[in-house]
Amino acid sequence: MTYLLRIVLVSFIVFVLQVTLVHNVKVAGASPDLIMVLLVVLVIDRKPVAGIIIGFMLGFLQDLGNASFLGMNALAKTIVGYGIARFGRDYLPDNILFRGLLVFVACLINDIITLNVATTFHPAEVIIAFFRYSILSAAYTALLAVFVMQLIDLLPRRKVRSGGRY
Amino acid sequence: MQIFSFLFDRHLERTVLAVAIALSVFMLTRPEDGRIAAARSISSFLLYPVSRTDDYFTSVEELTAENDSLRTRVVSLSHENERLTQFRDERNRLRELLGFRKDSFFEFMPCDVIARSSSRFHHSITVDRGSDSGVLPGMPVVGYRGLAGKVTQVFPSSSRVLLLNNKSVSVSCLVKRSRVVGVLAWERGSFFSLDYVGKEEDVLPGDTLITSGFGRVFPKGFPVGTVFHVAEEKTELSRRVGIVCMTDLNKLEEVFIIIGGRDWKGGEAWLELEKNKKDGEEPEEGKAAGGGEQ
Repeated sequence: MTYLLRIVLVSFIVFVLQVTLVHNVKVAGASPDLIMVLLVVLVIDRKPVAGIIIGFMLGFLQDLGNASFLGMNALAKTIVGYGIARFGRDYLPDNILFRGLLVFVACLINDIITLNVATTFHPAEVIIAFFRYSILSAAYTALLAVFVMQLIDLLPRRKVRSGGRY
Repeated sequence: MQIFSFLFDRHLERTVLAVAIALSVFMLTRPEDGRIAAARSISSFLLYPVSRTDDYFTSVEELTAENDSLRTRVVSLSHENERLTQFRDERNRLRELLGFRKDSFFEFMPCDVIARSSSRFHHSITVDRGSDSGVLPGMPVVGYRGLAGKVTQVFPSSSRVLLLNNKSVSVSCLVKRSRVVGVLAWERGSFFSLDYVGKEEDVLPGDTLITSGFGRVFPKGFPVGTVFHVAEEKTELSRRVGIVCMTDLNKLEEVFIIIGGRDWKGGEAWLELEKNKKDGEEPEEGKAAGGGEQ
């Protein structure tokens, strides 16, 4: 229960930072996606079902801030959460480079889905936006995620359940 | 049951994924108005504790501000209440005065007491009416219960009034019931004596004393005091009559100057006295019955 509360509290703080602070730390017009960082941190050591549910919840909460696209981020984060949980630990080596790469790819997939929904599947607009913003934002987010995950690794960890997952 | 088992036991992962994607697509395919309304209702539901907390703190701030405002208002209203209480008391006194005025034949000038003398034996007050208002020296002054004194000095906008408890004032009075005449003289506090009352005169405790009108300084018939004590003098020629004054001379706040009346003019005797003094004549009237100051 304490762990769940901690997750809720951290999520709340991340949401607040995403809404308030992120616009002030843009680099070349690209801003990091803190919610994606949170998703990766929460999901990477969990089972795919947990990844789906956490992804859906985070995306849905993100959608509540922009009701015109209600369901867009829920859809994207559900797929990304599932992908991270499914492939993140089992198929990728556990080192910092691949973690960063995982976040980078996750951001790109998230952006591809959201851009398609936002432009109602208009390929030209998707490609322009993707190359103009998504790659840089994904790199920025990946760097930030690596930094955060390194910090988390320094913290004392919970006991590992049977099966090697939390 | 088999289908549930199929979905949730054997293919839980895919089922959950499908449900989540279906939900997301369902939300995306809803009309925009519906999406916004749904998001708003869900947000308000999720943020209800936060909004309640916010409301609580807002209400605390409002209550604090309201409390400060009310404190200020309480102070203000307390002062106003005090002022209104004074107005009420004044109104009650004036109502009594009005009743008194209706019963009389005289013309009164209301005035406020603006100063009091500090002398122990020469009690006087200063009122806020003077020669500009038509006040003349010698005019009698009454409170709402009875006689209070007389005007002795007049300035343009104020006048000095010698009270009955001034040693230099004596008033010719008569007992209302038996019409016995005497001269009122102050002894101490609110107590006076009625001098020159013969041994055989009919004076009883409880009798009311009124002005006699002799000397024309004080008009006839104004209540002055009540007899509370009658005793024989050692000389056995006269009686000692103790009087308690009707007007509380120490608590005068408003008084009336009698400026005139039917067959009577305030200050007339004074003017005549002054005229006689100037002419080198001694005033014949008033010494015997009204006293020297009358």
